[in-house]
Amino acid sequence: MTTNTPRRRRIRVLIAKVGLDGHDVGARVVARGLLDAGMEVVYTGLRRTPDEVVRAAIEEDVDWIGVSTLSGAHMVLLPKLRRLLDEQGAADIRILAGGIVPQEDIPLLQDKGVAQVFLSGTSIGEIVEYLQRETPLERGSAA
Amino acid sequence: MNAPKPPFQALGPGEIDAHAKRWRDEAFEPARGGADRKPFVTDVGLPIEPLYTPADLERIGHDYLRDTGFPGEFPFTRGERAGMNRTDPFVVSAYSGFGDAIACNRRFRKLVEIGAEQILVALDLPTQCGYDSDHEMSTAEVGQVGVAIDSLADMELLFEGIPADSVKRIGTLGNSIGPIVLALYAALGEKQGIPWSRYTVNLQNDPLKEYIARGTQILPPEPAAKLAVDPVDWCVDNAPNWSPMTVCVNHINAGGAGSSMGTSIALGNARHYIDLLLARGRSIDDVAPLLHMFPDERHDFFVSIANLRALRRIWARMMKERYGATRREAMALRTTVYGHGMEALAEPLNNIPRTAFGTLAYVLGGASYVYLAGYDEAVSTPNEDSARLALRTLQIIAHEHGFGDTIDPLGGSYYVETLTSQVERQILDGLAQVDDAGGALAVIGAGFGRKVMTQGAVRRQRAIDSGERPWVTVNKWPQKPNVPNMAFRGDPQAAERQLERLAKVKAGRSAKDVADALAKVDRACADGANSVPAVLEAVRAYATVGEIVDVWRRRFGSFVPSTDF
Repeated sequence: MTTNTPRRRRIRVLIAKVGLDGHDVGARVVARGLLDAGMEVVYTGLRRTPDEVVRAAIEEDVDWIGVSTLSGAHMVLLPKLRRLLDEQGAADIRILAGGIVPQEDIPLLQDKGVAQVFLSGTSIGEIVEYLQRETPLERGSAA
Repeated sequence: MNAPKPPFQALGPGEIDAHAKRWRDEAFEPARGGADRKPFVTDVGLPIEPLYTPADLERIGHDYLRDTGFPGEFPFTRGERAGMNRTDPFVVSAYSGFGDAIACNRRFRKLVEIGAEQILVALDLPTQCGYDSDHEMSTAEVGQVGVAIDSLADMELLFEGIPADSVKRIGTLGNSIGPIVLALYAALGEKQGIPWSRYTVNLQNDPLKEYIARGTQILPPEPAAKLAVDPVDWCVDNAPNWSPMTVCVNHINAGGAGSSMGTSIALGNARHYIDLLLARGRSIDDVAPLLHMFPDERHDFFVSIANLRALRRIWARMMKERYGATRREAMALRTTVYGHGMEALAEPLNNIPRTAFGTLAYVLGGASYVYLAGYDEAVSTPNEDSARLALRTLQIIAHEHGFGDTIDPLGGSYYVETLTSQVERQILDGLAQVDDAGGALAVIGAGFGRKVMTQGAVRRQRAIDSGERPWVTVNKWPQKPNVPNMAFRGDPQAAERQLERLAKVKAGRSAKDVADALAKVDRACADGANSVPAVLEAVRAYATVGEIVDVWRRRFGSFVPSTDF
């Protein structure tokens, strides 16, 4: 797959805050950075349930959900999000996590269907590069 | 004014300026060699000169008696008390909480044993957001970022063996549940048999900043602000020695606004609360002494010092000139600070010097109540060793190196006085923008606050990504960010214990007493009366935090989260 091939459409990302954690600076800075990089970005706002996030992701027809997680609830909320997406026929929507996740939890989350974890301190450029590389050219064409 | 002239003025300001220009051209410029090695500008956007001289004080029109003065005297630039750290060091404080009350109580006892003079309880997110531990929204969050408090029963366990008057102050944040946390601490004293006059409760209880910065808002902003001033109003009559509101710059700055605009927005919030209290017929001399502020600057050491000095001066003048305060206590602003640096995830031990330097700046700026972040706090709830280290660092700053031996040791520094005036100007300009936007509620509703914060957060991220703001292990000698596995995870059984205890409390209390008390809480909402007496009755009857907040939610509705970024 070459980067020169024109995409069917711009990469679409839903940035989400799940659970009660109210710190969303990181989420908003990433949202702004992805927008500046030419992606289509929607932000859920604070304190959403996994159900609400999945509904928004399907409605907005996104390629990715980027979940900001800082309060330590990631091991419960992220797998739940994955399960709900799969159950609702949205297995092609992939999940990224960003924030504070202990090293040993990262492979566990990847086993449970989280594509990648970007810890606080990651540059926006690195996230943009990842999304451009990993988003399939056609929806459902690769996983 | 016939102020005694400082000796340097014998030389004449123009002459010093001429020398400074000569030095710059002949000595500094050749040394600089053409290009700066980095941009010299503070996080708040003020350019930093290579050298400051008496000519700079002249340029800003510095007047010693008017602008700087003496500690404990108007305009309090040099300190809110006459003796400051020389006679009575700042209050060594600890912010802590995790798991359930039993696990947390053990940590508190340890902290008191090693010298904590103030304990501020970190509440878990369900408690802060007004959900009981058994609520669906509390899933995976019980006891995570703080201790779970569902009812007075938890408070009794949390402070078992720690009498309310055994430390200088006890308290908590409870920004969106102010009347409830106030009532919990009032009822705790009753249970321990200690009158309210014999201990001091400090609450953060500043809901307005939650909507733009911290995110634990529950209700729409207007009723939230009304409920927040109820504890202040109640304390004037019942516990005038308490500090029931701490107006915060901290989270607004950290969220991107920068410390100067963050201070402006916080002062706008403070004015909103004060205006509500005055509208109830309270006098400024009665309410202002009960308010504190929580300033914050973690990027630039000297700006931090300048910010505290400028803030005290602005507060004093605002209380006197805008509100007509006459009591010293109403004009002398007490400050709570929480020592941070630019903590990084890679190599967390590096955060020890970062937070110590950040804290030292606050102490040199004359802070009254000082906390210090654990070096592992960017990653998790601090473990016992890092909590002890934070406390010991404060004690070292309070007692070693002579940091507090003379008052406001940087007062008169050409740089610090110049910065103090420049920061003061920025804060006042920002406050004018807050007023133009329509005041505190408009800052939230019309998006002014959110815009300022996002722009600032993006600007900071770019400065880091580009290397303009040097950050060791991030953009200098970069290392992969890493959240170590030793991150403190608390007691996995704590949430279960909490749910069991909550069920037991609900089964053991008088359902009728709870229902009657909650009806009174609702009536107080309907009548616009002070909510504290009814909430106190509900708390005494072991009504839960969630039950009381549900009454408010039904009465006032819920906030609508913003999806702007």
